[in-house]
Amino acid sequence: MKKLWMTTAVLLLISLLVACGDSESSSGTEGEDVPKELTYASTSDAKGLSPIDTNDSVSSNVIVQVYETLFSLNPETMEPEPLLAESYETPDENTWVITLKEGISFHDGTPFNAEAVKYTFEQMKDPDRAAPRASLLEPIDTIEVEDEYTVVLTTKEPYGPMLAALSHSNASIVSPTADQEGDINREPVGTGPFVFENWEEGDQVVLTKNEDYWRDPAQLDKVTFKVVPEYSTAISMLETGDVQFLDAIPSDHISRVESLSNVEVDKQEGTRVSYLTFNVEKEPFNELEFRQAVAYAVDQESYVNQLNGLGSYNESIIGPKVFGYEEEATEYGYDYDPDKATEIIEANGYSDESITMLVANRDNYMKMAEIVQSQLSNVGLDVEIETMEWGAFLDTARAGDYEMTFLGWANSTADGSELLYPNLHSDNIGGSNYTRYNNDEFNQLVEESRITVDQNVRKEKLQEANILAIQDVPWVVMEHGVVTAAYDESVSGLSVDPTGQWSLYPVTRE
Amino acid sequence: MISFIIRRMGQLVLLLLGISFIVFMSMHIAPGDPATIIGGPTAKESDLEAIREDLGLNKPVFVQYVDYLKGILQGDFGYSYQNSQPVGEAIATRLPNTIKLAVSSMIVAIIIGLIAGMISAMKQNSWLDVTSTTFALVGVSIPNFWLGAMLILVFAVNLQWLPVSGLSEPFYTMDGMKQLVLPSITLGTASAAIIARMSRSSMLEVVKSDYIRTAKAKGVKHKTVIWVHALRNALIPVITVVGINFGALLGGTIITEQVFAINGIGRLMIDAIAARDFPMVQATVLLVASIFVIINLIVDIIYVKVDPRISYE
Repeated sequence: MKKLWMTTAVLLLISLLVACGDSESSSGTEGEDVPKELTYASTSDAKGLSPIDTNDSVSSNVIVQVYETLFSLNPETMEPEPLLAESYETPDENTWVITLKEGISFHDGTPFNAEAVKYTFEQMKDPDRAAPRASLLEPIDTIEVEDEYTVVLTTKEPYGPMLAALSHSNASIVSPTADQEGDINREPVGTGPFVFENWEEGDQVVLTKNEDYWRDPAQLDKVTFKVVPEYSTAISMLETGDVQFLDAIPSDHISRVESLSNVEVDKQEGTRVSYLTFNVEKEPFNELEFRQAVAYAVDQESYVNQLNGLGSYNESIIGPKVFGYEEEATEYGYDYDPDKATEIIEANGYSDESITMLVANRDNYMKMAEIVQSQLSNVGLDVEIETMEWGAFLDTARAGDYEMTFLGWANSTADGSELLYPNLHSDNIGGSNYTRYNNDEFNQLVEESRITVDQNVRKEKLQEANILAIQDVPWVVMEHGVVTAAYDESVSGLSVDPTGQWSLYPVTRE
Repeated sequence: MISFIIRRMGQLVLLLLGISFIVFMSMHIAPGDPATIIGGPTAKESDLEAIREDLGLNKPVFVQYVDYLKGILQGDFGYSYQNSQPVGEAIATRLPNTIKLAVSSMIVAIIIGLIAGMISAMKQNSWLDVTSTTFALVGVSIPNFWLGAMLILVFAVNLQWLPVSGLSEPFYTMDGMKQLVLPSITLGTASAAIIARMSRSSMLEVVKSDYIRTAKAKGVKHKTVIWVHALRNALIPVITVVGINFGALLGGTIITEQVFAINGIGRLMIDAIAARDFPMVQATVLLVASIFVIINLIVDIIYVKVDPRISYE
């Protein structure tokens, strides 16, 4: 018996020694030749790699490296600027004449031209294709090819956010040949700085440098999008150098990431807004007094303080990084005032009824719910929490089977019209207007912000609509998001824009 | 024996039919519509209608079920709602990882469990016994995800002896084996603990039985008594535990796969459930159920080999 023990112990020791003997430390990135390769980790896999057929942020992280849009948002100003387009004109409010850059080819050799634009947009609008983000281009009525490099878009009504919509990654231009002959959702073909190499579903997507890119080729030779479902594992991989880049750091993990010596952390104000909302078709949520009482009762600072700097509070529904924001709007909000809240609640007899908050068990919604529950009970409201898994939650909330809930909106076009219209305009009740908010004056203002092409007039309309909604409280803003990136010290040129998107084109390692 | 196996396989088919029905219906009854998840929060009702039409979700549930069964009989398990990958292909790429993980964890569990259990039984109430029973108690109680995270921190991040994640290298290479070490220990510890407890008590019981006393009285060497006479009889309950645990291991891979970023069946299943990816959920549940049943069958067959008194005729 003793012998057996000894043998096992010796064997174990030997195998351990062997194991550490040839383990090379991968974290030592200082030194001469850092490979021009980068691995990014995300907690879930892409749903697809075609801009027409997907509508989620993980997929678009890959899509923006492979495909390009006609316009792109300047990350500083958040104004659309030409990318694949050369210039544009609007001879009248319903016509957009877009001149394209010449001499650009897709990765499969198909030339990029007006036909490709027409093909892409028509696919996007085709009901049979059921593009999940078809609504982006819905206002476009006809798409005409004027000549090889000129495309003319007409709308039935003026469409103000046109350029913001054309900058959205889901409006990226695809190779018509590749789409007709293959499946671009699995083998994407665009004009971008990186070419698709392979996709092992559930594991990783690999892209390589596009040597024939129309600008200077990218500096990285190879980029890998790795699926690491557990965020803490991803941080360990960042620490050991298996991964060089992470984004969307959860607030619970930020202090660990910041403590790593080989890692830089970048934090910036983002476009995302998270809010508490009501089903305003139900009593007493249809009463302004009740909603005001809740707005007075909620102290967002105590919630934001728990986010370790990964969120900020501002009364405005349209956030500081979204088109249509004016600081003045914040003066119209309801500051934290529990006494006032108690007063309103007692005067209206709201304390008699019990309220249920429907909460999805993801993101920070549970954290928000617990804090708000205790704050509301402080002012005399009886609130219960009902948690639900995301899929079940979406169905329940969409059907209006709830009283109060928490939701968020990424604002991926960074345009206020694209926030207010889907979420609070009565056209979308039963769809994305979960609040079921229906206010004629508000509807009118949002419509005007959409059908006006003059950006200054649009801004005024959005400001008016924003103030109206802040005062009428269909939403109680909980936080405006902060976008984050953590990357190995060998990485440079990486920046995340306020919508949370990033391009690997300017990135290098040294 | 042969007729027994055939009978059991027949039962398997019926069982799978039953499982497929229950899973199919429960997925359709459970809240959460695949179209809402695919469309996301921005989708309009018309967009959702188009998606439902596209996936055939507009048809009556029973018609969908029959269509599904017809497909299976032709070897067509459908396409993923999430990324339109053929379900069979998705499973084929992930199954080897899960099998690798489950088998290596079982090996870890059997080696550690059996050694620990035997030693405690031999040296009952000694410090070795106390250590081993404590290990068994702790092993059963430790949550998988915590153990995994701790092992990563110590062996992959601080000591850098082993990789943090993945299972991409072939298992017979040095890198492949290194990748297997931490996940196998994570997944195998709980089973090792159960096997240790079971083999200890089973061994203690056997050691007290008459034939062992007779063997000892005859002057058979202690080692021979233990390894030849006692172990074989003590193994029967241990084999049952191993069999059941192996099935449970396949289910338990979900968390280990999550922590170690292993692209396996467990993660495929959990992602599919979250996305209401009906065809993928169906196929993965059927697969795990079949493996479970087949392992049980194998355990029954092993009984006969280990204990000739057992027969199924």
